[in-house]
Amino acid sequence: MARSWRDPSEATLARVLLAPAFLLLGLIVVYPVGRLLWTSLYELSLTSGLPRRFIGLENYLSLLDDPVFADALVNTLLIVVITVPGAMLAGLGLALVANLPFRVKWPVRLSLLLPWALPLAFAGTISAWFFQSEYGVVNDVLSLVRTQRIIWVNSPNLAFGAVCATIIWKASSFVGLILLAGLQTIPGELYEAAQMDGASRLRQFWSVTLPLLRPSIAVAVIFRTITALQTFDIPATMTRGGPGSATTTLAMMIHQTTVDFLDLGYGSALAVVLFLISMAFSAIYLRQVRAA
Amino acid sequence: MKWRHLAALAVMVNGLFPALWILATSLKTEAELTRTPITWLPHAPTLANYVHAFHDQPLARFVFNSVAVALASTALTLFVATLAAYALARLAIGFRDLALSAIIAASTFPLVTLLVPLFETMRALDLLNSYAALVLPYTVLSLPVCTLVLVSFFESIPPDLENAAMVDGCTRLGALWKILVPLAAPGMFTAGILAFVNAWDEFLLALSFNAAPALRTLPVGITLYQGEFTFPWPVISAALVVGITPVAILIVLFQQRVLSGLTAGGVKG
Repeated sequence: MARSWRDPSEATLARVLLAPAFLLLGLIVVYPVGRLLWTSLYELSLTSGLPRRFIGLENYLSLLDDPVFADALVNTLLIVVITVPGAMLAGLGLALVANLPFRVKWPVRLSLLLPWALPLAFAGTISAWFFQSEYGVVNDVLSLVRTQRIIWVNSPNLAFGAVCATIIWKASSFVGLILLAGLQTIPGELYEAAQMDGASRLRQFWSVTLPLLRPSIAVAVIFRTITALQTFDIPATMTRGGPGSATTTLAMMIHQTTVDFLDLGYGSALAVVLFLISMAFSAIYLRQVRAA
Repeated sequence: MKWRHLAALAVMVNGLFPALWILATSLKTEAELTRTPITWLPHAPTLANYVHAFHDQPLARFVFNSVAVALASTALTLFVATLAAYALARLAIGFRDLALSAIIAASTFPLVTLLVPLFETMRALDLLNSYAALVLPYTVLSLPVCTLVLVSFFESIPPDLENAAMVDGCTRLGALWKILVPLAAPGMFTAGILAFVNAWDEFLLALSFNAAPALRTLPVGITLYQGEFTFPWPVISAALVVGITPVAILIVLFQQRVLSGLTAGGVKG
């Protein structure tokens, strides 16, 4: 007797149930990536009105001579190198405090959750106000130790530093939450045992906390790295990439080339570069997950 | 006061001060704002900035757009993720590990790279400046994490009740909707909050696809208040407070759910 459509075999049902998810992923991830690779080999500018023209790797060769690309690439990688360790350390601090046995837990938890849920674009806007040169609260606090007001947005290094500080502040809440979850899985008996053996608090942190926190740290590092590579919202709302291209990132360049200049061929080549860098980090992550 | 209370205080100042400072700014007059040294609490609190925030730009419209896009993509994400998670958690399938790996890989996908091809497609299909332009990408953005959260929740629920229902003649899908989904309600809720916050926060695609003022979401709309060289900070702050409040309420009410969602989605993934 044939099975009715209401009661298909397990394997058939599984395929049907997974189909929408993989259809969406195929439609919105796999197909666009294929299209991206393809378009990056063409000259395709929507402002010129000309039809697409195959030019091979010419878009990629143009990247090498583009000073803004060089700036954007260096800025993006610097943001990764500075803000990932920065957010990890700050986040670890937040998680350790949030894991302390307070009688009332919600104020500290809320202090981690609120920045986490704050849109990045809001964080950038708020930060622009904090670093505002005349009436900003940062300069006001600094005026206790120095008389000269700092015009943050005029100096390439200071603007970049302010952007990094904002990213670290925003990202440390996410890292803190992931690490807090990891800390809560460490059994208390381990610390009791370590205490009986006469281990100091610092020793306990090095020999019990850090090793057991390793999986959470790995997850936080990889997600942070991939997100940092895509940095857009905070510099876009805080400094608009300036002064010059001092705080311009690859993502901002992709956005400008595509949406403002409608140069899809060149924008695609830029996106492919970012995609490849990001995939390299994802590959490391997948290997970690498989090993675990 | 012990040292750990000082540490807690530092964490609270770090996490809450920016939001409180924006609240204070939103209640100040322009005259008070341009006074040095700056005042910490508003001397003559005023709600005029909120009136301006709603009047100068269609702020209510931005809120509506954000809520509509976030709710639609959350609902779609939950539906698709529930089906996929059920297959992965309950059904005996040969390619389970492969499918899980694909979903974990998708969770690390850089959304920025979708900008160019999706922009081209949306433009060609005349979908720029529509809700659909954002709902589909946001669904895909949250789908991997939500699926992983739901798989771990489903696996934590013993299948006995579903099996009993199926012995009584319930179909597998019937058992999923009538028994597993209600039992996994906390997990559904957690995954829903993650999807909602993801959509609520997204900026790049919203800025690129829906630039028309009537279709801007909140993060994009807030950038409209500043001119080329003018920054009406009290009004911007008022708009920010309006934008932060809904999610802040959500978090205050459901802290524990959000925390457990991050654990299941992140650490398990």
